[in-house]
Amino acid sequence: MFWKLRLPLALTFIVGLVPIVTFFLSTQAPVIGPAVQFARDRVERYMVIIAGFALLLGVVSVVQGSVRKIERRRPGWPFAASLLAGLVVMGAFGILSAMRVGPFQGLLTAPDGGMTPFFWMTRNLFNPLQAAMFSLLAFYIASAAFRAFRVRNVEATILLIAAFIVMAGRTPLGEYAFGWLPGGERWLPAVTDWIMTVPNAAAQRGVIIGAALGAASLSLRVILGIERSYLGTTEK
Amino acid sequence: MGRGEWTRRLAAGAAAAGLLHLCLAQRAAAADAAASWYDPQRVGAPLVVLLVFSALVLYFIHASRRGRALYIRRIAGIQAIEEAVGRATELGRKVLYLTGAGSIDDNQTIASLAVLRHVAGLTARYAVDLDVPGRDPLAFSAARETVQEAYLQAGRPDLFRSDTVHYVTYDQFAYTAAVTGIMVREKPAANFLIGAFQAESLLLAETGQSTGAIQIAGTAEVTQLPFFAVVCDYTLMGEELYAAGAYLSNEPAMLGSIKGQDFTKAVLILVILVGVLLEILGVHAIKDFMAIAG
Amino acid sequence: MKLERLVNIDRRIVYLCIAVGTTLPLLLPIGLPVSSTPPVRSLFEKVESLGPEDVVLLSFDYGPTTAPENTPMAEAILRHCFTRGIKVVVIALFPIGGVTMAGEVLANITPEYPQLQEGVDYAFLGYKDGAQAAMKQMGVAFVNVFPVDNGRRPLGEIPLMQRVVNYDDVDLIVTLSTNVIAEWWANLVNAQFGTPVAVGATAVSAPKYYAFLDSGQMIGLLGGLKGASEYERLVIDRYPHFARLYDRPGVYTAIKGMDAQTVDHAIIMAFILFGNTVHFLIRRRDRRAGLRDA
Repeated sequence: MFWKLRLPLALTFIVGLVPIVTFFLSTQAPVIGPAVQFARDRVERYMVIIAGFALLLGVVSVVQGSVRKIERRRPGWPFAASLLAGLVVMGAFGILSAMRVGPFQGLLTAPDGGMTPFFWMTRNLFNPLQAAMFSLLAFYIASAAFRAFRVRNVEATILLIAAFIVMAGRTPLGEYAFGWLPGGERWLPAVTDWIMTVPNAAAQRGVIIGAALGAASLSLRVILGIERSYLGTTEK
Repeated sequence: MGRGEWTRRLAAGAAAAGLLHLCLAQRAAAADAAASWYDPQRVGAPLVVLLVFSALVLYFIHASRRGRALYIRRIAGIQAIEEAVGRATELGRKVLYLTGAGSIDDNQTIASLAVLRHVAGLTARYAVDLDVPGRDPLAFSAARETVQEAYLQAGRPDLFRSDTVHYVTYDQFAYTAAVTGIMVREKPAANFLIGAFQAESLLLAETGQSTGAIQIAGTAEVTQLPFFAVVCDYTLMGEELYAAGAYLSNEPAMLGSIKGQDFTKAVLILVILVGVLLEILGVHAIKDFMAIAG
Repeated sequence: MKLERLVNIDRRIVYLCIAVGTTLPLLLPIGLPVSSTPPVRSLFEKVESLGPEDVVLLSFDYGPTTAPENTPMAEAILRHCFTRGIKVVVIALFPIGGVTMAGEVLANITPEYPQLQEGVDYAFLGYKDGAQAAMKQMGVAFVNVFPVDNGRRPLGEIPLMQRVVNYDDVDLIVTLSTNVIAEWWANLVNAQFGTPVAVGATAVSAPKYYAFLDSGQMIGLLGGLKGASEYERLVIDRYPHFARLYDRPGVYTAIKGMDAQTVDHAIIMAFILFGNTVHFLIRRRDRRAGLRDA
């Protein structure tokens, strides 16, 4: 109970309180100043280190899961094998390139100005795959818009009109729409700009403030040990 | 309200006013930082908001623990959770739960784990398959503990399998490809997309919609909320996500914190309205006070 | 019955139209004009006000997924800075591909300026994990975060970095971002250190940053491909010799990409109009059928 609950809660309380308190204290103050500077600098550096270890944990998890899938010949096991192959090859290329071992001289450009193997794989395999997945969004947005933008009620109608104005205003369409009128090429972009900077910004601010307060409330619950879901337990 | 209660409230109000005066005086004097133990550039609006917020949250937690009934409005997305799991039970198909892209230090992930505990409890009770593909390694570990604990508390530890909560990959679109593949092949009856999501939100939601699943989403990412709102059946927006765990737990301390945050929002709204009025009249006191210096 | 089939049109027809609408304009450019908006002009004017004694910190906070939107921004801003003799410090804080994006862009742009010397006119410091912590530490000293540059040269040996110690020596920070990192630059760096911050964001994220623009936490905003095309237009109009670079056949630029985006927007709007027309016809038919039955 001490190691699984009390110690983590105590650590959370201390580590959560330190950045809050040191934010308001002065690094120039006598006696406590150096301690404040130390706390600010070190805590932030520790965060950088911990973030690096999290990646290692992920690699171990992926390898374990994939190996288990291959051993038991579960449905889709060839994909797990290809995942492991990609992880090993890309990871090895990256590490060897960073350490400049043998022909792997650097991550980006080789000493002779050409592409390193790691950079070649990034540019010709990784980048296109990422871009292809991201590009699916264009198709999905179109089908979602076709299905969702229907004049069902007043709010949906306002949404539809605003969407039309912004879609047209954010492209040269907006200039052509009223371009035949004197000064007309500026109307739709100006209305678009107004929609983005006034009602859109106001709504975004409202949601951001509400979400920030919600996050602060949750943070306070975590620091005080009221919220324990991150420990995987609700025991008192 | 008794005299003791009034006295306590007056004392708290006086303390807050005194602190506010101190902060304003220090800022106005632009005190030499070397002479003071606190940073006068940072003590001001941030400290006042922090103190007011903390005081309100702690007050309502205390009041709730003492038995005061607190009204929290109905949130459709949270009410629909049981309906979604029930639908999965009827159809004999699994429930898919995504905790989002954030790590364990992200508040949205913590909020998602709180909802996951509730969903896992329901799936254990109804003996429905639960699938939680993980993206962040730390969040994945926490999710595993959470689901295991939930199954244990529901009295069905036998239903928890090692691949109930499984790790996929950290990469955004590789994860998306894997999860959309699960959606299309295995056709879960209910999808929960709760946590921090980025560009993959529409890909996931639209794919889930195409398979006919009931979808409950929740995120505080304002850029992704429109996609979820348009595609999903229910959406928890911003603070509703953070309130969800507290709402589902029904614990007095949790409900008290929601009430405290709502009251803080009311105070901020009042300050904004007064500030706007003063700005119109050419008085910049509130704007200057709220400006955060370096 | 026929109308119902039209309103529930197979989504693959929509996908096909989008595919054609995206591909054709890229193969057969239309050459639609691009005009600028205030958020983009604001950043352009800020860079125009800087000179050889000034330093811009350019942070590559995006990966390959959003390269079609962010890379044209990066190239246009770098060309603008190098043309004006502004010193540029390049870093990457995005974990998946940020440093390779930075390397690619520098490799594309620096050959156009053979007189530039790495270490004197620009420095490429590489990638650092833990963006928020890194941002705060750079306010103390860059060397705390990047002890060596991307070529493993100690920062003390780089002439430019001998005079650029922390944010006090930086005149403008431009972050090309795909997610929340841009917000951190505004909330952490601009708020605490006062250094002006401008953002090149994806179209999905850009609506969120108008609030930051309005409050002065950001001094400029390039929103998506449109923002990138506007900056390219401004750079070409101000420095006409760039026109030949941007008009090269087979080279992707944001201005060329706007043709495809415009056609796609038109297709989506057409489908929405079509869907609503059919929706109205169904409602009118049902109303008439209801009256007839009555």
